[in-house]
Amino acid sequence: MGIIFDGLEFSYSGELGPVLSGLDGEFRKDEITVLTGTSGCGKSTLLYLAAGLYPGSTGAVMKGRVTVDGNEPGHLPPQKRCILAGMMFQNPDLQFCMDTVRNELIFCLENIQTEPGEIDKKIREALDFCGIAELENRTLITLSGGEKQKVALACLAAINPGWLLLDEPFANIDEESARSIAERLGKMHSERGTGILAVDHRLDSWLGIADTIRVMEDGKLLPESLDARSLDPEKLESLGIIVPGGSYSPDIPPAKPGDTVLELSGIEIMQGGRTLLRDVNASFRRGVIYAVLGQSGTGKSTLFSALSGVLPYGGEAKLEGRDIKHLRRSDIGKMGFITQNPQDQFVGGTVRQEILTSLRKAPDAAERSEEILRRIKLWRYRDISPYMLSQGQQRRLGTAALIAYDCHCLVCDEPTYAQDRRNTIAIMDALCRQAREKNIALIFSTHDRQLAKDYADEILEIKEGTLHAVTEPGL
Amino acid sequence: MRSLNPACKFIALIIVTIVLAGRRDPVWNTAAFVLSMVLILASGVRPKTVLLLLLPVALAALGMFFTGYRFTAESAMPVRSDAFLSGDSHLLNGVTQASRVLAYAGLGYLFALTTDRIHMVRSFHRQFHLPQVFAYGLLAAWGVFPHMAMEYRKTKAAFRARGIHVFPLSPSLLAPLLVKSVRWSDELSVAMESKGFSAAAKRSDYAPVKVHLRDWLFLIACCVILPLASILTGN
Repeated sequence: MGIIFDGLEFSYSGELGPVLSGLDGEFRKDEITVLTGTSGCGKSTLLYLAAGLYPGSTGAVMKGRVTVDGNEPGHLPPQKRCILAGMMFQNPDLQFCMDTVRNELIFCLENIQTEPGEIDKKIREALDFCGIAELENRTLITLSGGEKQKVALACLAAINPGWLLLDEPFANIDEESARSIAERLGKMHSERGTGILAVDHRLDSWLGIADTIRVMEDGKLLPESLDARSLDPEKLESLGIIVPGGSYSPDIPPAKPGDTVLELSGIEIMQGGRTLLRDVNASFRRGVIYAVLGQSGTGKSTLFSALSGVLPYGGEAKLEGRDIKHLRRSDIGKMGFITQNPQDQFVGGTVRQEILTSLRKAPDAAERSEEILRRIKLWRYRDISPYMLSQGQQRRLGTAALIAYDCHCLVCDEPTYAQDRRNTIAIMDALCRQAREKNIALIFSTHDRQLAKDYADEILEIKEGTLHAVTEPGL
Repeated sequence: MRSLNPACKFIALIIVTIVLAGRRDPVWNTAAFVLSMVLILASGVRPKTVLLLLLPVALAALGMFFTGYRFTAESAMPVRSDAFLSGDSHLLNGVTQASRVLAYAGLGYLFALTTDRIHMVRSFHRQFHLPQVFAYGLLAAWGVFPHMAMEYRKTKAAFRARGIHVFPLSPSLLAPLLVKSVRWSDELSVAMESKGFSAAAKRSDYAPVKVHLRDWLFLIACCVILPLASILTGN
């Protein structure tokens, strides 16, 4: 019993070549396996193939095959396939088709032809299992990322598949929610015998429940199978894996604080009829790096969205002394934004255009764009749409595009989201060097407290609806 | 109104609309509008919501009133004015046109504000045999609509973050939105499939939407009694 890849070769399009080439490997059902590796190496593709969603929806299998407990999932109808292997996706916003949590669960259970008389009982069990009974009648659109992932897990608990395939399930949620979900996944494995294969760059949340760590590189599964209970930090680091609790050893020049570039006074933001943030006061200086920490749903992204003009807010936010609600046209762009979902910031039709837009005033734009794309390993994808890149690659592109752009204050919402250790360090080093060299105020949000500790000059935390300064010993 | 079967309600209100279209009677139009408003408010919809929704309708009705008022027998028209007129006087013609707008809007709002969308799609699927891929695709797309306005603002902010000023509805602003909506539909369909949904497979039905006696009575009132009354009163 297990998931077996037998010489699998898979490609999204003929032009780009295979994403997985000659993939061989086995994942056992009696183990919880975490699959990790560099961004864009094919981990998510592997999961989609095991779930039978590929090649039906996109791409083509050129050679080999994948079996789950002896069945080829791609050859099964969706109703049977979802009982064999259920999938939890990275983007919590795009995995529901009904309006409320209850209706979504009913939808799932109707799909697998559950007897109508049993549906209420199964809904209660699934919600209790995930500890979200109070969310039953909530509208999905009002839930935070963490809550949505718990609902997605409740859907899987209701369907009760033989395997759970998880694509970065904790990427958008805080540590506490991640631990709580991981704990429930462990329970599903031990109580129901559900096989678990998860793709993740961060191992922290899996420690204690995972049995095995496997690593992928360039579309192939490395032969090493690491015991998750006795991890060797050096070995992990050599494989490019984020070491739980390990330092990132940043390589950035020291801070030279300049004058205040952004000042927030009495910021108040309402969401869903309640005050999410109130009395937010802070000032940000040139050349200084700020980290903003906070639990999922506390308002980090909301604060950044308000500053970018996407959400309304009360109070005053001044950029170089001018209210950002009334910036002159020449001042637009002095504050750059890297959004949590990189797709929210793409403005170009191709990967290269995305960089060229930032460099449009530079005389050597063509050469510099090539240099940037080669550095972030996206040169071969230069003529395709940014939306066709993997999530990790999109993040690298989004960050590089804003680094190439000259602004006075750069606000980054989770810049290292879904990145492996090497890329996390590369992105943060590049962002922080840019902040130092060009005297930019860099503000980034993160769930990773170690990242904040290693890279930020000042750490702020959103707690109880407002922004507080954090002193290091409390981290 | 909320407890009526959506498919029956839909047919009944369509018939009422057709009956009103065949009459030139401001009294019937006004009665339909007033009755719709009463039923909407009796169904628990907040008066403030109703008033806000009626604002654009009131504007349209006002426009129609003046159009009807202007185009009377005295107007210089290339064809015989009788063919265009709903009434014999400026005022009656204006009021007839304006009340028609109010009546149609009232009936539309009556359906929209007193019908749960999930219940409606389930009912259309069962009573009209709407294909399930279309029914549930519609529901999934509905879930995406609230995101659209936000996505528009996000895309605008993305341009501003690179120092580019874009005009509302400019192609450079709409192109990323279009790409995103295609991507969303792809991701949603994959997510639905991963939860066992398929166009052809049989599904169980947790709460079958049935046609009750009250639905038949409502249908008879709207589809039989009302047209008969209209014929008998002979407007």
